[in-house]
Amino acid sequence: MAPKSKVKEGEIWAIGGGKGGTGKTFITSSAGTYLARKGRQVVLVDMDIGGANLHTFFGISRPQKSLTSFFEMGASLGDLVVPTEMPNMSLITGDIHSMASDKITFSQKLKLFRQIMKLNAQTVLVDLGAGSHNNTLDTFLIADKMIVVLVPEVIAIENMYHFIKNSLFRKVKMTLKEYGFKEIVQHIWDRRQSYGIVNLKELIDYLRESFSYIGTILDHELSSFQIHLVLNMVRNNQDVQLGASIKSVMMKYLGIPIHYSGYVEYSDAVWKSVRERKPFMLNYLATGCAKEIEILTENLIKSADIDIPGVA
Amino acid sequence: MPKDDLKKLYDVLELPPDAPLRDVHNSHLRLKKLYSGESIVLEPLGEEFTDKKKKKILEQIEEAYAKILASRAPEASRTEPLFSAEAAEEKLSEPEDPAAVVYSGPRLRKARDAKNVSLNELSKELKLRLELLNNLEAERFETLPEAIYLRAQLRTYAAFLGLPPVKVADDYLRRYNAWKEKTSPPPPEGASRRHRS
Ligand SMILES: Nc1ncnc2c1ncn2[C@@H]1O[C@H](COP(=O)(O)OP(=O)(O)OP(=O)(O)O)[C@@H](O)[C@H]1O
Ligand SMILES: [Mg+2]
Repeated sequence: MAPKSKVKEGEIWAIGGGKGGTGKTFITSSAGTYLARKGRQVVLVDMDIGGANLHTFFGISRPQKSLTSFFEMGASLGDLVVPTEMPNMSLITGDIHSMASDKITFSQKLKLFRQIMKLNAQTVLVDLGAGSHNNTLDTFLIADKMIVVLVPEVIAIENMYHFIKNSLFRKVKMTLKEYGFKEIVQHIWDRRQSYGIVNLKELIDYLRESFSYIGTILDHELSSFQIHLVLNMVRNNQDVQLGASIKSVMMKYLGIPIHYSGYVEYSDAVWKSVRERKPFMLNYLATGCAKEIEILTENLIKSADIDIPGVA
Repeated sequence: MPKDDLKKLYDVLELPPDAPLRDVHNSHLRLKKLYSGESIVLEPLGEEFTDKKKKKILEQIEEAYAKILASRAPEASRTEPLFSAEAAEEKLSEPEDPAAVVYSGPRLRKARDAKNVSLNELSKELKLRLELLNNLEAERFETLPEAIYLRAQLRTYAAFLGLPPVKVADDYLRRYNAWKEKTSPPPPEGASRRHRS
């Protein structure tokens, strides 16, 4: 690759998607390992409040430091970074006392975001855990790359739509608040029936059409709202094609651009490596999964889409 | 057509405006399938995604497809020397200009294969018997229905694959009729083959 495609320092990738158990932590650890092997300085942050387990993917069973110190003792994030056995890669382990996400105060959150942005790394990968809590959505929204991990099943797809819709709604609300239109979005949404609005897309279209100034703001601010989709545990070609269908539906239905970055097949090697507590990308390099992770991570770097035969 | 309008049509098919013709066909088919059937991708949206909405999307897809094909018809029929070497090579990998093709059974099969549609799928989509479709592509004329029925079936077949329906039916029936003439008993005073040799 030509060196001109240099990435700006400190890019944040957030990995979420709503549904539990889809492989977010596996993808975070594997994509991170791949980036580190490529020579990038990587810090992984486990933000799965209440379900932190990213450290176990690196064979660390009892982390010496964790986000607990940040929340309870006001430690600074930079001091909580611990190395892994992998060169170029370090880790901030999650809060292992299962603390409730809504205990985090607003000012803690802002401080956390500020410090995440200042971490000394080229790529910071944040494992968001499951769910669509506002704190989770806010972390998702500060990322340079918003990544969702999905498995090919109805419930997971449903949760993902919910997750993305809520993120977008929050983004629109926060954006307009910044510009002084604090209540308007919620106001109209709460009365959507009388406005004949059925969904978020129609709300946004309504705002655009009714207030041209808001339209300009949204055009500008929402242009960065791009989702990167990773399909995990695929079992056949039909599963693989789902990514393209979701991309289509999200665009036609919500007006949200999706990059279908790639997929990872279902493989026993994955849970084996998790059980062995060894980084997958080190021990199972020869597997198809490892190749797929390589492809999807490259696509994430470039904000590109995967090439799939039969899908233009 | 103004460039912006054309760009919007390509957006509907989720393609860049410089997409090869093959992608135009493929996208059309893929999206048509997605929005006309059941899919676990649409199911969770439930009532938010009404049939009316689906229908509208399908109409947009058809409209975009037709207009894009129309806008590219001249490009496809331009004579060879106008093409750069690269463009000529590209053209080879694309479906030929429909006007220059004769839609025989094997040619239809080829068109279907190129779009990755199985006979099974086609049979389900068009509600036509698999056997009929197979015989049609194999030109087993003796098994096929009368021309008047066949014409309707050919047009459905063609429309689904994004081929020109009238031309497909005309081409195919010309071959079918030629076969018919050959196999029907010669007119009494006409010269038979044996006579001529
Ligand atoms: N491609 C795959 N093939 C087979 N098993 C997989 C695959 N990806 C993940 N798994 C298994 O699925 C389980 C869940 O993975 P993981 O912990 O990464 O999910 P998660 O989304 O982080 O879950 P949570 O929402 O609880 O944080 C793990 O046991 C892992 O071994
Ligand atoms: Mg996890």
